[in-house]
Amino acid sequence: MIICPTCFNEELEGALFCIACGTQLTHQTKSPTETVVYTNPNQPADSAAETRISKAAAPGTTQVAFKIVSSGQIIPLEGGEEFTIGRVSGTQPILPDIDLTPYQAYEGGVSRLHATLHIAPESVTISDLGSANGTQINGVKVPAHSPQALNNGDVLTLGKFRVEIIIHP
Amino acid sequence: MPGQPDYYAILGLPRDASSEEIRHAFHQSALRLHPDVNVEMGDTELFLDIQRAFEILSDPELKSKYDSQLPSPESTQPPVQINLLYSRSALPLLDEPQLVYAMINLSPPHTETTMNSAPLNVCLVLDRSTSMKGERMDMVKTTAIEIVRQLRREDVLSIVTFSDRAEVLIPAGRRLDRAAIETQIQMIHSSGATEIYRGLEAGYQEIRANYNKRHINHIVLLTDGRTYGDEPHCKRVASQASGRGIGISCLGIGEEWNDHFLDNLSSSTGGSCAYIAKSSDIRRILKEKFLGLSRIYAENVRFDFHTGKDVGVRYAFRLGPESAPLETLPPINLGSIPVDNTLTALLEFVVPPLSDDVSQVTLASGQISLDIPMNTTPTSVTRLRLQRPVKAEAPPEPPPTKLLNALSKLTLYRIQERANQAFATGDLDLATQHLNSLATHLFSQGEKDLARTVLDEAENLERGLSLSETGKKKIKFGTRGLLLPAGTDSSLASVDIGEG
Repeated sequence: MIICPTCFNEELEGALFCIACGTQLTHQTKSPTETVVYTNPNQPADSAAETRISKAAAPGTTQVAFKIVSSGQIIPLEGGEEFTIGRVSGTQPILPDIDLTPYQAYEGGVSRLHATLHIAPESVTISDLGSANGTQINGVKVPAHSPQALNNGDVLTLGKFRVEIIIHP
Repeated sequence: MPGQPDYYAILGLPRDASSEEIRHAFHQSALRLHPDVNVEMGDTELFLDIQRAFEILSDPELKSKYDSQLPSPESTQPPVQINLLYSRSALPLLDEPQLVYAMINLSPPHTETTMNSAPLNVCLVLDRSTSMKGERMDMVKTTAIEIVRQLRREDVLSIVTFSDRAEVLIPAGRRLDRAAIETQIQMIHSSGATEIYRGLEAGYQEIRANYNKRHINHIVLLTDGRTYGDEPHCKRVASQASGRGIGISCLGIGEEWNDHFLDNLSSSTGGSCAYIAKSSDIRRILKEKFLGLSRIYAENVRFDFHTGKDVGVRYAFRLGPESAPLETLPPINLGSIPVDNTLTALLEFVVPPLSDDVSQVTLASGQISLDIPMNTTPTSVTRLRLQRPVKAEAPPEPPPTKLLNALSKLTLYRIQERANQAFATGDLDLATQHLNSLATHLFSQGEKDLARTVLDEAENLERGLSLSETGKKKIKFGTRGLLLPAGTDSSLASVDIGEG
């Protein structure tokens, strides 16, 4: 039995693709069908990944990552100070920096451009961009277009989609 | 040997058939064609042929005399080139079930660079129900006239129109002058309901009346409506047609027609089913269909087989020339081989848990039979055995690139099927999830329009609405269409080596 790493669908041995979500199940080649991937699909979803993030951190910079609550997958936020978060949709001209589509964001009610996250040396803040289903920090709804501070371990809810914030200063 | 019938072919057997196989084939045909049970005109003559074949081949003396007159198998060219690809070079020894894929590529034995193609005996069965009125019917008329003008001298075209009854507009085999045919086509009047059986039966009779083994005998049904209650009758006509090597292809216009039903109907005869989204596409798709029919090397290509012990075919699909789902139970009608291209079918086998005394697994063992209109023999039969050795460990090399690419695209079609199934059983969350996965893959492959259609349908589901008929058809035939470039490109046959 093979368990699909993306959707946990069970397939028989010898299957080359998951017929529930289309993920390639052979390990020889990287999946040709995924373009926007922020996690290494082979990376185990456990605390070891968090450790790797902190080890990789250059001194003096704040490392931030999302941990998807439902699946435990880690999405590191790298290469910038400000990230837009949302999901890819066909009719939309501006793409989010962090595309949550592969993680069933659509079902979770994440808007196309849902929020922006800003990383400063002293603080990490999130601003809701007037999303349809709103943003909550630890279950408390935040006002739109107003930066809110985030701390390590906070649970951020975008619509119904929950991520845990991991911050390594 | 001119005048001498090919008795092996009449019984649908390869030249090296054993006496047991000869006996079995005769009994099978006799059960179907015996004068006490046969229903179709011409069956008794067929029965006499197979009886004669059995008389000769079951008698050792007569058989060896007959065999000695036949050209030796080495000197005769095989009727078809078979090229097989498997997802694995060997099966790992596992105590759980496993999947293995086989891709069957069938192409003409390229001896001549330009091969003549067979003349057509085609009946165009046109829906003239009220809903066809206006742009659709105008486009059908224009295209039908163009097709008539492009026919070769030896081609036979008949035209049947139907609503809740059928009329033979242009009978088969009668050489009307072209102007008269065009006038007849112009005068088609749209009114009434859609009863496909009426049209199909009338079309079948036209093809039968002019049936010729040296022709491509095919019914092309064009409809925009859903037929009610006469599906079993349609299936009966399809099975009779299929038994005689007559293919049925269906072209559905707009959102109402029953794609599932017509897909199965055409698949069972080796034909194909196409979706025409808008009236302006009628001309292109109908002409493509006729072009395809006029480029056939072999038709009625069947794979009849027994699977190995506890092995099953879980999924079967024709990747090209016209992609279509196939039946999973033998005999599988694979369709037709174009003169200048390859027929490619993909089979997914489930292999049972293996014990360590097994060194080889037979997936399917049987024969490929085909009708080659330009050949003098009635049918040609070639043995085909799909099997894999068993090794302790899975082989390290990746699957062949061609197979992997085809399966990657087929997977998108299957996700679409899954979404429909989930929707049909009321699991809307799962259906939405499948559609979103599908959209993600389509975006990443640059299929933006199709991806948007998929997202629109997902959004419909999220808002508690049903899937739209147009969306469903666009997604189904759109994902199926993705298969074509890889499936029809015969040059890919040389790129069988994996990436590793």
